[in-house]
Amino acid sequence: MKAFNPKSWDWFLVGSALLLSLIGVLLIYSAKFNTVSLADKELYIKQTMWLGLALLVFLVTKEIPPKLHEALAYFYYAAGVLLLLLLLAFGATKMGATRWFALGNFNLQPGEIMKIALIMALSRFLVYSKRSPRDLTWVLISALLALVPVALVLKQPDLGTSIVFVVLLFAMLFWAGLPYYFLLLLITPIFSLVTAFHWISWGLFFVALLVFLYHLRPGLWFSSFLVITNLACGVLTPLVWHRLHDYQKLRIISFLNPGNDPLGAGYQIIQSQVAIGSGGLLGKGFLHGTQNKLEFLPEQHTDFVFSVLGEEFGLVGGIILLAIFALFLFRAIGIAYKSRNRWASFAAWGIASYFAFQIFINLGMTVGIMPVTGLPLPFVSYGGSSLLVSWIMVGILQAIYSKRYEY
Amino acid sequence: MESRERRAHLTRYLILGIFFLLFVKIFYLQVLNYGFYKQMSDKNRIRLIPQPAPRGIIKDRNGKQLASNRASFTVSVIPYEVKNLNHTLSLLSKILKTDYQELSKKVEEAGLKSFPPVKLQQDLDFSTLSQIAEKSEELGGVIYQIEPIRQYPQQNWASHLLGYVSEISKTELEKLARLNLRQGVYIGKDGVEKKYDEYLRGKEGCNFLEVTASGRVLGPLKDKIPEEPLPGLELKLTIDADLEAIAESVLSNYPAGAIVALDPQSGEILCAASYPGFDANMFLSTLTPELWKQISTAPNFPLIDRCFQGSYPPGSIAKIIIAGAALEAGLITKETRFSPCHGFYTFGTRTFRCWKPEGHGQLNLIDAIAQSCDVYFYQLGLKVGIEKIANSASNCGWGKKLGVDLPDENSGLVPSIPYYDKKYGTGKWPKSLVLNIAIGQGEFLTTPLQVAALYAALGNQGIMYQPYIVKEIISPTQRLVTTKNIIRQLPFSAKTLEILNQGLQEVVHSPEGTGQIARVEGIKTAGKTGTAQNPFGLEHAWFVGYAPADYPKIAVAVLLENTGHGGEFAAPVAKKIMEAYLKQVVQMVQN
Repeated sequence: MKAFNPKSWDWFLVGSALLLSLIGVLLIYSAKFNTVSLADKELYIKQTMWLGLALLVFLVTKEIPPKLHEALAYFYYAAGVLLLLLLLAFGATKMGATRWFALGNFNLQPGEIMKIALIMALSRFLVYSKRSPRDLTWVLISALLALVPVALVLKQPDLGTSIVFVVLLFAMLFWAGLPYYFLLLLITPIFSLVTAFHWISWGLFFVALLVFLYHLRPGLWFSSFLVITNLACGVLTPLVWHRLHDYQKLRIISFLNPGNDPLGAGYQIIQSQVAIGSGGLLGKGFLHGTQNKLEFLPEQHTDFVFSVLGEEFGLVGGIILLAIFALFLFRAIGIAYKSRNRWASFAAWGIASYFAFQIFINLGMTVGIMPVTGLPLPFVSYGGSSLLVSWIMVGILQAIYSKRYEY
Repeated sequence: MESRERRAHLTRYLILGIFFLLFVKIFYLQVLNYGFYKQMSDKNRIRLIPQPAPRGIIKDRNGKQLASNRASFTVSVIPYEVKNLNHTLSLLSKILKTDYQELSKKVEEAGLKSFPPVKLQQDLDFSTLSQIAEKSEELGGVIYQIEPIRQYPQQNWASHLLGYVSEISKTELEKLARLNLRQGVYIGKDGVEKKYDEYLRGKEGCNFLEVTASGRVLGPLKDKIPEEPLPGLELKLTIDADLEAIAESVLSNYPAGAIVALDPQSGEILCAASYPGFDANMFLSTLTPELWKQISTAPNFPLIDRCFQGSYPPGSIAKIIIAGAALEAGLITKETRFSPCHGFYTFGTRTFRCWKPEGHGQLNLIDAIAQSCDVYFYQLGLKVGIEKIANSASNCGWGKKLGVDLPDENSGLVPSIPYYDKKYGTGKWPKSLVLNIAIGQGEFLTTPLQVAALYAALGNQGIMYQPYIVKEIISPTQRLVTTKNIIRQLPFSAKTLEILNQGLQEVVHSPEGTGQIARVEGIKTAGKTGTAQNPFGLEHAWFVGYAPADYPKIAVAVLLENTGHGGEFAAPVAKKIMEAYLKQVVQMVQN
């Protein structure tokens, strides 16, 4: 152990993460203050204990040199994929989804571990690959690295996590300097996805893509990859849609039109907005949110924890939380571009994008501009795995920060 | 590295942009739409428990209660709180001894997950109530409340007049949308209860409870004061309960009929009995669809108030109008005589009978009225003509609604030249029709109330008051007294009225008069008998009269369906009513 050196700490990063975690405990306390069940009432104690553990893990993680992770990156990746495979074979099934191993009291979610592993592996690959603008094989391999866990996670099925993997891929390619129009091309499968239900518009879109590819000539491999994925998306989407679980379909439909089914899937979205809206400027006061304490809010301690804040602390509370998150993300991005080590820079970037995406999706869902995906709000939502993984990532960021001048 | 820094900055702007978007949405929710969402969250947590208002009490003119309220237990279910609806409802259907389907239909109509209590059954007896209380563990979400419920102290009594109350129906709920009534409230459906519902109903109060999403009640809301129910207003009717009781009990001896009595000096309805009737209490809780069908389609129409919703041929009652029209037109005097009556009259090739087969001989007008000679009136009718008869009858208030303050009044029918032109084609109808009209047969139709109002006016210098039933509307702070309202002056001069009066007195007092049985001892009485032919059986017996003849305190019309001659059957009934009322008036004067 080295001597404690306060200058090697990114106090803003760690401080904001700690603040967010404490706000989380507070909100969980409020969320379960009025429940009848004693076990639920004490969730905030559990979360506090998780936080303690997470901080310990953070202190360990921040001491691990980034170069070690770099060396082990593919190993992490292989281990993550193996865990996902094992999960599909032996995992615990709940509500039609297989997401974790039950290890006594603790649920191990390989999906969470895979997020870190994927970031590290992609960083490693992107640092050492030859990135020529003519030959885009490297893009293809990166995509394959991401798509393996995407496929495994979709099999569980866990739509939210698989989207996280795809987003990580894009964020990393962006950081690797891929030209913007290639990024746009990479997004084309998503367009295919959207237009797939209307085959004429999909056909038009597909023809436009072919013309574009002929004009740009981004290489044979890349072109055929795009053509194949677009074809697959266009043709398979309607088929996949029919294979989705009903609750997943409902989530998508109810996001598009929450008023459609106010007692069913749209209920969460409506009640969350009612909670936030009725908070007003200053909120109803700590422990006085009626939507919260009378349990009109669904999942108020996990996915919809921001509605508790919005209801009890109002617009002012919301702005403060947004500001803390913004500070945290800005610091993480700063670490990414200031780090001299290339792998570290990629890894920090991946972590920053991961947080940014989770935050946007969760907050967007709670205020009703994103579909309900079931992604927790980092640091704030109740949940040991999520908190632990978040703090491991903060640990890695801190480690990178303290060695930011090393090549 | 340069490009990396640019991309980092770009990303920071992107993050700021998305955060701004989030901020805009939060601002939209919390500032721009704060009011709306605050209301939504209140609607979530506040459950309104309606507090029914006691309905206004209805009293007779002397303060006797005709309709009041009593406490009753109502069992309701809060669908949201019921865990196993099937089980709960099947258990309840056993305890309440009702059909499971019926209960589940009520719940389904309200919504299977709704918060407000759905009334399942009213007016539980004590043993049923204790059975529910015993099973309260199994019957989560089932509640019982005390509610005021309508009570009519006497069964089958003045039921048409008072009407009844019953749960508001879906169509009524839509029709009365402006009143903002709640499903399950009771409203008046007939008679005074219907016509004066807005006064009697009162205003429901409201308790505010705070509930959780699962429907658990936390207690009364602290920041909202409960609204107390406002009781309905008290009504004082013009009815004399004792007189009504006599009328009702007399009527029950006949197949069907009506008795209406008016105060000729004001138009107050002193009694209005219609038989057969129904028990208004039955509509409160136990009315099943089968029972309703049975009542509403019964061949003797128990739901019709024959006093003003039934219309009948007036028979000889109408002769007074023909006589009046002839006198007014100067066609006759009271001494005018026609060809003598031999029991029939021949017009063209047809023979028209007089009710007295042996004939009346040659009579003057007064005697013709007193003895109700048909042959005299055939000839008089021919002389007067349909047009004048129809005008006179219309001006006497027949063929039109009187505007009594009760629902669904019948207007009756006065056949006129346009009416016949329309029915038979212009000018194509036989002239002999006037003979039927002249003795109140044919298409003529009147209600007993119209008949009573006409004769009340005949006894009151031709001044007709609008009949009315509600004398006063009494609120805790003030009383609203109905003012009497002259609706018409009969189209007869004072001289004509004097002659008509003389004739009507002779009906009762002349030894040859048809209505002698109606004579009230020691009091000058006037009246007219009528026997309306009825193709479906025995004649309808009419008697209408007023007493004392010089300054009448009561005018009464009696109609007995399918009973026989008016002079024989209706006259004694009328006498009983007039006698009873006048005795009471005399007593009051003496006191």
